[in-house]
Amino acid sequence: MNSLTNDPPLYWRSIEELEKTPEFVQFLHREFPQAASEFPAGMSRRRWLQLMGASLAMAGVAGCRWEKETIAPFAVRPANRIPGVPQKFATSIELGGSLRPLIVTAYDGRPIKVEGHREHPASLGGTDSFSQAALLHLYDPDRSREILQLDAKNQRARTWDDFADFMSDLGPRLRASGGKGVRLLVERSSSLCRARLLANLAGQWPQAKLIEYEAYSRNHEQLGTKQAFGQAYKCVYDLERANVILALDSDLFDFHPQAVSLIRAWSNRRVPESGEMNRVYAVESQFSTIGSIADHRVPLRSSDIPLLLNKLQVRIEARVSTPDLIIQTDYAEPMDRFLEILASDLVANLSRSLIVVGPGQPPEVHASVHQLNQLLGNVGETVSFIVDPPTDFPHESMEGLIEEIERGEVNVLITLGGNPAYDSDAFAKVVTRVQHRLRVGTYVDETSQLSTWHIPEAHPFETWGVGYSPEGLLTIRQPLIDPIFGGLSHEEFLYFLAKDQRVKRLEILRVTLKGILSDSRFDEEFATLVHDGFAEAYRQPTVKPELRIPTDVPQFKAPGNGLEVVFNLSSSTFDGRFANNGWLQETPAALTKLTWQNAALIAPSTATKWNVATGDVVRITVEDRVIEIPAFVLPGQAPNSIGIAIGYGRTAAGHVGGNLATGVKPVGVNVAHLRRNANAFIATEVKLETTGQRVTLATTQDHHAIDKVGLEELAGRIGELVREGTEQQFREHPDFAQHKVHHPPLESLWTERSPEGHAWGMSIDLSRCIGCNACMVACQSENNVPIVGADQVAKGREMHWIRVDRYFAGDIDNPQVVTQPVTCQHCENAPCEQVCPVAATVHSPEGLNDMAYNRCVGTRYCANNCPYKVRRFNFLDYTSQLADANAELARLMINPEVTVRSRGVMEKCTFCVQRIQTVKIDAKNHQRAIVDGEIQTACQQACPAAAIRFGDLLDQQSEVSRSHANPRSYAMLAELNVKPRTKYLARIRNPHPDLEKFNGIS
Amino acid sequence: MSALINDLMNNTHEVPGKRASLVLGGLNNSSITDRVCEIAEAPTPPRAWYIAFAVSSSLTLMLFGLVGYLIFTGVGVWGNNAPVFWAWDIVNFVFWVGIGHAGTLISAILFLFRQNWRTSINRFAEAMTIFAVICAGLFPTVHVGRIWVIYWLLPLPNQNAIWPNFRSPLLWDVFAVTTYATVSMLFWYMGMIPDFATFRDRAKTRNRQMIFGTLALGWTGSARQWHRYEKAYLLMAALATPLVISVHTVVSFDFAVSQVPGWHTTIFPPYFVAGAVFSGFAMVVTLMVPAREFFGLRELVTLRHLENMTKIILLTGTMVGYAYAMEFFTAWYSGNRYEQFAFMNRAFGPYAWAYWTMVTCNVISPQFFWFKKFRTTPWLMVIVCIFVNIGMWFERFVITVTSLSRDFLPSSWGYYQPTFVDIGMLIGSFGLFFTLFLLFCRYMPIVAISEVKSILPENQNPH
Repeated sequence: MNSLTNDPPLYWRSIEELEKTPEFVQFLHREFPQAASEFPAGMSRRRWLQLMGASLAMAGVAGCRWEKETIAPFAVRPANRIPGVPQKFATSIELGGSLRPLIVTAYDGRPIKVEGHREHPASLGGTDSFSQAALLHLYDPDRSREILQLDAKNQRARTWDDFADFMSDLGPRLRASGGKGVRLLVERSSSLCRARLLANLAGQWPQAKLIEYEAYSRNHEQLGTKQAFGQAYKCVYDLERANVILALDSDLFDFHPQAVSLIRAWSNRRVPESGEMNRVYAVESQFSTIGSIADHRVPLRSSDIPLLLNKLQVRIEARVSTPDLIIQTDYAEPMDRFLEILASDLVANLSRSLIVVGPGQPPEVHASVHQLNQLLGNVGETVSFIVDPPTDFPHESMEGLIEEIERGEVNVLITLGGNPAYDSDAFAKVVTRVQHRLRVGTYVDETSQLSTWHIPEAHPFETWGVGYSPEGLLTIRQPLIDPIFGGLSHEEFLYFLAKDQRVKRLEILRVTLKGILSDSRFDEEFATLVHDGFAEAYRQPTVKPELRIPTDVPQFKAPGNGLEVVFNLSSSTFDGRFANNGWLQETPAALTKLTWQNAALIAPSTATKWNVATGDVVRITVEDRVIEIPAFVLPGQAPNSIGIAIGYGRTAAGHVGGNLATGVKPVGVNVAHLRRNANAFIATEVKLETTGQRVTLATTQDHHAIDKVGLEELAGRIGELVREGTEQQFREHPDFAQHKVHHPPLESLWTERSPEGHAWGMSIDLSRCIGCNACMVACQSENNVPIVGADQVAKGREMHWIRVDRYFAGDIDNPQVVTQPVTCQHCENAPCEQVCPVAATVHSPEGLNDMAYNRCVGTRYCANNCPYKVRRFNFLDYTSQLADANAELARLMINPEVTVRSRGVMEKCTFCVQRIQTVKIDAKNHQRAIVDGEIQTACQQACPAAAIRFGDLLDQQSEVSRSHANPRSYAMLAELNVKPRTKYLARIRNPHPDLEKFNGIS
Repeated sequence: MSALINDLMNNTHEVPGKRASLVLGGLNNSSITDRVCEIAEAPTPPRAWYIAFAVSSSLTLMLFGLVGYLIFTGVGVWGNNAPVFWAWDIVNFVFWVGIGHAGTLISAILFLFRQNWRTSINRFAEAMTIFAVICAGLFPTVHVGRIWVIYWLLPLPNQNAIWPNFRSPLLWDVFAVTTYATVSMLFWYMGMIPDFATFRDRAKTRNRQMIFGTLALGWTGSARQWHRYEKAYLLMAALATPLVISVHTVVSFDFAVSQVPGWHTTIFPPYFVAGAVFSGFAMVVTLMVPAREFFGLRELVTLRHLENMTKIILLTGTMVGYAYAMEFFTAWYSGNRYEQFAFMNRAFGPYAWAYWTMVTCNVISPQFFWFKKFRTTPWLMVIVCIFVNIGMWFERFVITVTSLSRDFLPSSWGYYQPTFVDIGMLIGSFGLFFTLFLLFCRYMPIVAISEVKSILPENQNPH
């Protein structure tokens, strides 16, 4: 904050700083003072991971982040603040222009945990892994800390006054010329403040243009609605009402703005005992989450999907017009059979079906899907629309901007957020022709390095804002902490551009809300909005637009037979913005289980044809663009389709994601070199070659290629571990899962203790689980789980307390996927406890398998004896840097309720014992009973599908007791007599009876 | 070497009605004393000793360096991972404990069974036991994550009133190995007292007088002392005998009591003990053959001694082979899928190379001892015994690593690869072993002088 104002610094670290001696200035301006020079150049990334968060330069300032006014010691305790009692605030973050409502827990003024907003319909308590990991981003020591003025050679630190001086010269000139030659390059955003400020600015700069830009844009969705309805709309889905869902190349459960709430709605219909189950069909080139849980999935090249839709449309139209058409099932082509049954199933569920299509498909396909949904009567039922209002600014596309720059028509480029220089080679090539390049960004990244001014951006948890959630609810964003590095929000910067002066953050928000909330009760409604996080009363209305396009079938061109490359967002780095986030980098991709790397996903049949194996580096050529990337042979990938995640290969991300300036190798391969532009989702005319090189991929599962003996065993074993059946099986024998394994009566060697007071237990519903990894990141954040880096992951030393096991079943070309979250099962008869020589892991009277870290000697015997392999050992020192005097920033993020484990100590899931204790203590203080559902583990809370239940098994009425009593309930490896407290509910699939044996199309 | 063996030196013939002489070359009471004492009293040892010592002590230094690196950096410097939490650390531990078996077996059990041929090799084997146990003890000590609190494994009274977990086999192991080490050490020392007295009496320098005088504990060789000494020795032998069985039984409990498929088998205790005797004798032969050459002990450690040992190797090797076969049978008979897979995986999974190395070395190579040629040709014995030692190391590797690498949940399956620290520490432990052994050979009575004399024909029937 100090660099932006004239105030003398409130905190300082040394006399040198106060006096601003040249030595100090030099010290400060080396990017990572101590560390950069004092570690050898060849330092491993793992070492840096240890240092992640070890803020050195800002150490003193970071120690305490109160508002300036409240720094005085508390002679009187402020209202609502009890030291040591965490506070929760409703806020939100934005990702790719879609808003995610959150509740953030702050401990003594520092945010330590992100949770979903339980009351908000867009969350219902669930989150995705990105929201969870936003916290690490907040405390990232690589975030930019100061205003920089850059040219080709130098980066000079500047103060806000320097920048204001610069703008006092430039600003009036721009206003005089009406903003001629000014281009604003901004991320997609739902921010109402930004929209208002941009409108103001448009008034001042009528000649300026706006480019709304995302590295992985969803504008095909928008264009599709424009084509279909003549106006841009946002789709709002209601999966709870949909009986049949067809997902075409869709990222509905991955990156869709509504993903979190849709997962919940879908999963509510996957519980066979509570009503009719839905049925999901998926056609896609690479596994999406919805594809992995689909009842029927067909792997198909993305470029073939338009044609498939044509065929489907013909069948649907025929059926809608002739309802009693006979269903033919004797087709020679399995695909025809599939389409026939799919069409009949969709038509049989008129107004209760839904077709969704992914952002990578062309707008015509989107329009076509809207048309089909209309035909099936789904509009207004399972899909409704919200008007997507255009901004008041004249728009330009990215391609147009690049052309304009080439023509020399742009002399001021203002980039707010995003990272176009990384996303687009074409942009990076021309951008330096613009005279003034102003950038507001969180990092001094690829784009900032090509700018003339870099202004640090504040983290969402440091700023105010308001916007509409994907469902159209007015949702607030409030700061949890004063900007740690003194950054600005985009809105503040826009305000400055318009007014040449700074304003209080809150003021921008209040003025924006003045136009929305009622005038008479503004303060009251504002307070409620900030408290609740959203306002039900201010909802964007849904509309039922009229189809504009003719209802005849648009004919899509047949693509060639060659290879295609399909670009997708990364489940770890998104579009690269989370590249410096260790939690996400180490979160394994759902299907490949790959960490710290992107890879070219190739179908087994294609791999055989091209003689490629997992780990082989391949050269992929599209037109004149080439990348080299390791291949990953993934069962279920569509033949002749190569899937690659973008968002890797960052060269200026930081010490985790790669930074060439400091000698940290990029993580993964930058796919931008292969993409024509941000709208390139599918590339055809692809050339694939092997390079002869091989690399080791850091996966958390299948660390080693599995041989024949192993595969045969796997096939026999999985069905016993992850039990599943069809809806029909369930109807006939609800307890079929309990009969999958029979064993002799089990006897214990000794008298077992019965639980005292409570018996904590967990239940995981595999029917709901989609394997999205939100639980993993939530656990990492809650329990201070360290990250270990790619080398250690490759060795099998990842530390996650909860993992999601993924198995394939059936045909290798079109397998079924099963996912199973596994965490400590808290066995009543725990094998780990028995073998620990020092009694460091012992049973609590309430049935928790407790770990006394301080007693642990580290023999690792417990982990050997754990049949679930959920114990994690600190093979190396992953945490002691936190104790360094200068690691105050990193310490801010640590959950104070959870011990940070040292080297040589075993650790594992505790059932979030700290949360149990907090509630128990509160209940005891108030002399009340603990209410069921009051204690939520971190994984349970984050789970968007509500697959995890936790509670007291002694309470017969508790949700977990009822889950354990469910006939689908089974204990994994119960035959070992370990008596796990975690039980799984068997997964029920709902295949179409006529398609049950459908095995896809090869 | 075989050229040196003439009829005079070969006492492996069986002559009905007459026991073969165990001391050859016409050695008598005084020449035996001379022969053994001269090794320690020689002003300089043979040149080969210097070379061997230079190599082994360098390796020992490397070992200490690696231990330091391990302790300062963490267990992660090894290749251990999840799920293979135990790897070469425990493999080496069990291997060395096994090596340490022959000593006590020879000194205690053969003593009780009045096997006179033990007398010229028992000192040697006991020393080997002690050194092997030292090497063995090193690995579990440094393998723990936090060595600075390792004393928590001992039942020491403390202010927190926390006891170790008496249910844990690892704790039993601590007791078993420390007891074994203590008793072996006492037994070894006790046996050396009369010989130390001989050294003392022959000492020409003040230093030797002082050192051996202290070690001899005032031994005078009076009839009363001999009377009590022999009684005590018998009692010690009786005390040590169950330990021979118990130590490796308890080591096997580390595996057998757990529930890892491939570990959880009741056959382990006898199988481990047989394997330990097998490897221990193989190691004695491996060391004995060169030692008797270099130190001129061919008349004391005769071919008959060596042949007897190869017979034991043949017996125990066959027992081990039987155990391997039996493991497969029980796994199949159990009907337990995890158990069955553990063994299929051993033989045909990614570690099949280790399994078949083990089978070849442990089951096939000792079968050569059916041939008299192999039993009586020292260098052939050494070759077979080196294979046995390799095989026994691999046995422990197969048991520990293959079982862990693929247990219940396939999602957690892994593969272990050693790092340079793993390899360096294994080699270094041999360095430590040989360093101690070479020092022993140079400075201590390497043959039990008084006991060998007792089996001389002239001392058998003095009246």
